[in-house]
Amino acid sequence: MGIVIAVISGKGGVGKTTATANLGLGIAMNDEKVVLVDFDIGQRNLDMILGLENRVVYDMVQVMDGEANLKQALIKSKVSTNLSFLAASQTKDKTVLDSQRVKELLDELKSEFDYVILDAPAGIESGYEHTIEFADAAIIVVNPEVSSIRDADRAIGILDSKSQKVKDGQEVVKYLIINRIVASMVQSGEMLNSEDILEILNIKLLGKVPEDKGVIDASNQGKPIILNEKSVAGQAYQRIAKRICGQTVKMEDIESENKGLMKKLKGMFQ
Amino acid sequence: MKGKQYSVKVYETSVGDEERFISFFDANYILFKDRLIVVQGELSPRIEEYLKSKSLLYANNIEFPSSRSRQDIQLELEEKQAKELKQQEILAQEFNKLSSRLNNNLKVQDNIVRSGQEVIIEGDLLLLNRINSGARVETSGNLIITQAVEGDIYCNGNFMMIGNSPKANIIFNGVRVDNNLLQEKLNKIELIDNEIIITAILEKEINWA
Repeated sequence: MGIVIAVISGKGGVGKTTATANLGLGIAMNDEKVVLVDFDIGQRNLDMILGLENRVVYDMVQVMDGEANLKQALIKSKVSTNLSFLAASQTKDKTVLDSQRVKELLDELKSEFDYVILDAPAGIESGYEHTIEFADAAIIVVNPEVSSIRDADRAIGILDSKSQKVKDGQEVVKYLIINRIVASMVQSGEMLNSEDILEILNIKLLGKVPEDKGVIDASNQGKPIILNEKSVAGQAYQRIAKRICGQTVKMEDIESENKGLMKKLKGMFQ
Repeated sequence: MKGKQYSVKVYETSVGDEERFISFFDANYILFKDRLIVVQGELSPRIEEYLKSKSLLYANNIEFPSSRSRQDIQLELEEKQAKELKQQEILAQEFNKLSSRLNNNLKVQDNIVRSGQEVIIEGDLLLLNRINSGARVETSGNLIITQAVEGDIYCNGNFMMIGNSPKANIIFNGVRVDNNLLQEKLNKIELIDNEIIITAILEKEINWA
């Protein structure tokens, strides 16, 4: 029986879908069976980031409606056979979801996969509530800036009051990914540092991902950055994927600037 | 002599604005058609004509033989309500005194108050966790917060204690408290003789845990 992880953020554009794609691939590379489900109905883009847009035949809503069975709708990744993908419907809107049908779909997916990862829509509307309703755990993606933190805080508050697990008296485990960190900006105080963010949100840290210019191109190409071993963001996602799979990986300090030789010499004479 | 006794339903009214009177009766005709309409005060020919045309039974300026007039009942009711209100006020005042003296109904909470969440407390509150930006905490009594506050707090008690919180929005008994006045590690905000007085309880250096 697999576990359901919802990837949420509250605010849009913080890298939620990118994180979902990379973590899915990363977990699959650790020999676990993963399915990524795009819950952003009406605005799907996980298919593009995974490079699977031209393979989508049936979507999640069609499976729920019984127009297609799950096997027909699941798309196998070209990169890893452990990774499958279920697309969101692009033509419908969020109102087509209802609790019963979401639960049935997730139960079916849980019986076949070790990890069921849901890419939540931005915002806190019904689409978001259905994403978190049956989640066992949540990964919260934030950027080191105040509006992202506040929206994430709001999203966590809703998670803590509306998820089924909480209603049953259990706790939804919450993990934080701080995305798009620029060391120099953290050092200069323009960006919040991770301690401040953790103090505000009061959840466990899963990993920090540095800003990486390669991410945009990777998304455009449909080849998630985790496949590029030289990329700093890709390496960060690899570490996070390993942590999700239960390995102990040291937390890298990506917030201190990498001081070059010249800067070090300068520092000696100051 | 023969006599019969009837109980008649009476609608008592007076004509203020003739247009309104007519439109009101037009709209509620079904309700009034079997009643005796008693018009107190002036009854103009126009209204009389109208009532006749609607074949409504009417009478003008009748002193009802009841022991108490409607005004009397109304007055009595108002008096009773005022008395009740005053009693409630006295009770509330007593409760307030008791609460401030005994720290009555003190609630202790240790949950983080996140953006969008509301904590509304009747009585005193001791909060041992953060209030995040976009959250709201409201107490009718005293409020003590030991952690950082970035949200909105509304305290209507006799005092509140709060640390240095530059981002908080603090309303104490309806008055906004200037964050710059809360420089110390822990500050006490009190209402004494209708004046808000802020005193430092713990200075910055001291580690409040």
